[in-house]
Amino acid sequence: MKATIDRGFACVFLVIGLAFIVGSRSYVSTSYGSQVGSNVFPTMLGVLTIILSIKLFIETFRYEKEDVVEKVDFDYKKFFIILAATFAYCLLLRPLGYVITTFLFLLIGFQTIERGKTWISVLIALIVSISVYYIYVELLNGTLPKFPVWLDFLN
Amino acid sequence: MDVLEWLKLGFETAFQWHNLAFAFFGVLIGTAVGVLPGIGPVSGVALLIPITSSITSSLSPTEAATSAIIMLAGVYYGAMYGGSTTSILLNTPGEAASVVTTLDGYQMAKKGRAGAALSIAAIGSFVAGIVSLLGLIFLAQPLSKLAINFGPADYTSLMILGLCAVSGLAGKSMTKALLMTALGLLVGTIGIDSVSGIARFTFNQPSLYEGIEFLTVAVGLFALGEVFKSIIERDYIHGKAVKVNSILPNRKELKDSIPAIFRGSFLGFLIGVLPGAGASIAAFFSYSVEKKVSKTPEKFGTGMIQGVAGPESANNAASGGAMIPLLTLGIPGSGTTAILMGALIMYNVQPGPLLFEKNPEVAWGLIASMFVGNIMLLILNMPMVKVFAKVVETPPKYLLPLIVAISVFGVYAVRLTLFDLILLVTFGILGYIFTRFDFPVAPFVLALVLGTMLEYNMRRALTISNGDYFYFFKEPMSAVFLIIAALWIIVPFVLKMKGKKLIINEEG
Repeated sequence: MKATIDRGFACVFLVIGLAFIVGSRSYVSTSYGSQVGSNVFPTMLGVLTIILSIKLFIETFRYEKEDVVEKVDFDYKKFFIILAATFAYCLLLRPLGYVITTFLFLLIGFQTIERGKTWISVLIALIVSISVYYIYVELLNGTLPKFPVWLDFLN
Repeated sequence: MDVLEWLKLGFETAFQWHNLAFAFFGVLIGTAVGVLPGIGPVSGVALLIPITSSITSSLSPTEAATSAIIMLAGVYYGAMYGGSTTSILLNTPGEAASVVTTLDGYQMAKKGRAGAALSIAAIGSFVAGIVSLLGLIFLAQPLSKLAINFGPADYTSLMILGLCAVSGLAGKSMTKALLMTALGLLVGTIGIDSVSGIARFTFNQPSLYEGIEFLTVAVGLFALGEVFKSIIERDYIHGKAVKVNSILPNRKELKDSIPAIFRGSFLGFLIGVLPGAGASIAAFFSYSVEKKVSKTPEKFGTGMIQGVAGPESANNAASGGAMIPLLTLGIPGSGTTAILMGALIMYNVQPGPLLFEKNPEVAWGLIASMFVGNIMLLILNMPMVKVFAKVVETPPKYLLPLIVAISVFGVYAVRLTLFDLILLVTFGILGYIFTRFDFPVAPFVLALVLGTMLEYNMRRALTISNGDYFYFFKEPMSAVFLIIAALWIIVPFVLKMKGKKLIINEEG
């Protein structure tokens, strides 16, 4: 199992190495006043990556049978809810503004990890989102996305 | 000016009221970071960079850099103080450098000596902090004087040495660590090439012209990666802390721990100076030394005070020692110092031999503030041990989503782009996948920080030598560095072939 996974990684790294070598071929080989152009360093690294990924690939054949990735009881449900919530948080940060998105994200996050004590969750999420916004924007003159237009009176 | 005069200047900087406040909040947050499981010094420092940069925005660039580095370094060594708390009270280390502290610390707590263990850990950390600072003061100038004569070839080789040292000791497989280093360097080439001005691997995307921002990557890999790991592996349900009674050690405990503290401090400092070997290795070594010199080695693991005093002093001394290569040579030796270096570069302050000449107030201000910070930590950790014992019980339910929110806030506040937020989440997922399959992330971040400079110096050296690649072996200093770099890779490799077990650095 572990060997298969690492072989997969070796292949990915090999492709990355190749991609960088191919990609750097288009850059001029010499720049003004210099013997070495912009392509040299990435090409060297690409070659190094390829060599190392081949080395990793070969090493996987020497793994012991009992050398397995330790089994973990994965909690996919909670993880994907948090991940989706994080993505949504990032995407909606500008359209909905900092306070609303942070409040919603925190509330969903708290309740996903452990159900219950809803009012405490609401209270903490509210305090954090509002205080971070006002301290950062009003006191420190920083920039964070404001409330959306239809809530303009809050800005 | 001699050392004492510079130090006086440093104290003048450190005692400005805002810098005192930065040091205080740095060590306070650092202690909390060390205490809270699931957030270590690396992610703590990474998370705080954006926040410090916005707080310091009203100061002049040098002042801002000084204050920021004072606070961030405070988080770093503060975390070493705090890390012992969870080890002793919960049997779960707050960060990797405190793993060995669990062995005897938790046993002491079970015997009702938790307070004594905690206060000895704090005293040991304090002594170690001062020892490593004295080392820093006396080594900083001679080392930077030596380094100032380095040419581009020497620098290139020195950076290769740094990268090899970190890869040689990070993670279970050296091949994987080296692969991560290569990948970090490759990712570092994305963006506009500083020598020729050509945009590389940008696919005409304006967001890529500036390159992949190190801050986004570091916060994603370390902070988000750890959160994702805790959630998917249900790693956050933890037990109740042991109650803390009297915090004062008795006379025998004090007598037993004093030699251990000094041994730990010196050992930790020496190991910290070496690139690649960080606080966790120092703590591990110190524990085995204590076991060796003890008259009753069989009692280790049952609550020996030396088993707490030695490692806790060593990890703190190592974090101080690690500042030496960072400040004098500009070569960070670990994940955390790489992030500190990235922070300094963000402020346009280049760590390295010129730091002490160009920005003495940054360098000496930091050194002096570390004195102040260590005193603050001792005061914070002795009487307030009981308060921090309560922090241990912060429910992960609230902690984990808050870390995500702070990461998003931090990256957005500094970068202001959706692109960086998406990059942040992507690197969070990658960070989890990498650590899950034993691909260490610290070499990646270090390579990303050093990449641009490595390429720049390499190309300068090759321009001087008219494209002769053997130039790196013809320059004496450079050749020495390359040989050490090669040894760093070959020796562990040979030892492994002989079937010896190696200690690896898990500090990140």
